[in-house]
Amino acid sequence: MILVRLKLALLWLIVGLPLAWGVAKTVQNAIKLFQ
Amino acid sequence: MSAAAPLGSAGNPSARLGLLNRARTVAPHDYNRFLVPPAALAVHLSIGQAYAFSTFNLPLTKLLGVTQSAPADWSLKAVGWTFSIAILFLGLSAAVFGRWVERAGPRKAMAVAAGCFGGGFLVSALGIHLHEIELLYLGYGVLGGCGLGIGYISPVSTLIKWFPDRPGMATGMAIMGFGGGALIAAPLSIFLMDHFKTPESNGVFESFVAMGLIYSVFMLFGAAIVRVPPGDWRPIGWTPSLTPKKLVTTANVHVDVAWKTRQFWLLWGVLCMNVTAGIGVLSQASPMIQEMFAGRVSAAAAASFVGLLSLFNMGGRFVWASASDYLGRKNTYFVFFLLGILLYALVPSIGRAGSTALFVLAFGVILSMYGGGFATIPAYLRDIFGTMHVGAIHGRLLTAWAAAGVLGPVLVSYIRDFQIHNGVPKAQAYSVTMYIMCGLLVIGLFCNLGIRAVSPELHHREGEA
Repeated sequence: MILVRLKLALLWLIVGLPLAWGVAKTVQNAIKLFQ
Repeated sequence: MSAAAPLGSAGNPSARLGLLNRARTVAPHDYNRFLVPPAALAVHLSIGQAYAFSTFNLPLTKLLGVTQSAPADWSLKAVGWTFSIAILFLGLSAAVFGRWVERAGPRKAMAVAAGCFGGGFLVSALGIHLHEIELLYLGYGVLGGCGLGIGYISPVSTLIKWFPDRPGMATGMAIMGFGGGALIAAPLSIFLMDHFKTPESNGVFESFVAMGLIYSVFMLFGAAIVRVPPGDWRPIGWTPSLTPKKLVTTANVHVDVAWKTRQFWLLWGVLCMNVTAGIGVLSQASPMIQEMFAGRVSAAAAASFVGLLSLFNMGGRFVWASASDYLGRKNTYFVFFLLGILLYALVPSIGRAGSTALFVLAFGVILSMYGGGFATIPAYLRDIFGTMHVGAIHGRLLTAWAAAGVLGPVLVSYIRDFQIHNGVPKAQAYSVTMYIMCGLLVIGLFCNLGIRAVSPELHHREGEA
């Protein structure tokens, strides 16, 4: 059970981190430019 | 689910040996289904790069001149064809290879998509190195486009099978990745070009090689972790409703039958009209906000507006598709079309009132519904035609995207040019366009209203060829 949860967290992190980076970059640019 | 079994090769012992074979991807009954969406996201986040291809447009016109275009450099118009060819081949490959994708299973399909998409970048890199634009078209356009088409449909049909209780949320999760891919690819492309540039090169060749390798690995990771549910699998505690809704079938329709039905072509119209309206605006978003609010919105602020629209586009994919599980697919599209007509009709007044915030908000909602339309359509297909060939049917329906990809931008830019040519001030040149978009959405609204359940005579029966 713990192994499955670890695998679940790891897989979601692998795909979630690049997405979070892309979203953060977009928001950062939007805020910077609208200021 | 059981009806889908003959498409696989579970009965063929030699086929079990193949690492990519469908039979090797069948999960045990107690498999946690939330382990599967990351596989779909890995593929869609990669192929979503296509939306950010324009980041390379200008650098590709300065390959020889490096800081500015040399006479022998490619023109922007010539480079612009690359994206159009890729979208065309996305639609064509999804339509042609849809049945193969269902038969071969998601792992093989995702691996092929990885090879095509990553390989497309590498062939294009060779074209950049040799300065042969035909290789760019062949690489990113044809090969990459096939990777886009195969990679787009495969994870979607897999997730629909894992989430029969929440098909909208499942397809929303996968297709959200396609929207999110652009948010990653745009800053990644800029970072790579900055990293590789030298006084003699603007770093595009190296960036293409790097992106080809990165995306191949990421997509192959998705292929490695993807699983399909066993034939008789159901989510724990879930049983199909004994009183099925009018527009949600428990039967299946064969792809060769489905595409000849009235329902298929009405759904084609629904997708085409929804996408045409959204893609037309997306393609002209930057000049539109600058011209409608002349002197108040700079080019840089317009670029951030485009970024914000991408966020709405991505968010809408998950939110609207998930909401469609509760609202019903037909009602969700009814909202898209009705709210879309209202918002498009209001845009000229918002422009005249000079409210930038309201303008951004209106287009944010419009783009969320554009994304939502993409993400909800596979679940709509599943409701109407069942899960058996949903990937193949979805593939054929994506030709509507290819058509809209040409129709939308051409309509918006042609009408704008026509207006300006006839003396209409730039700030008002978009008003007619908005009303024409309303007209397109009215057609979509009627297509949606005309959708009924498929006649039981057309349902697939076990053992039928």
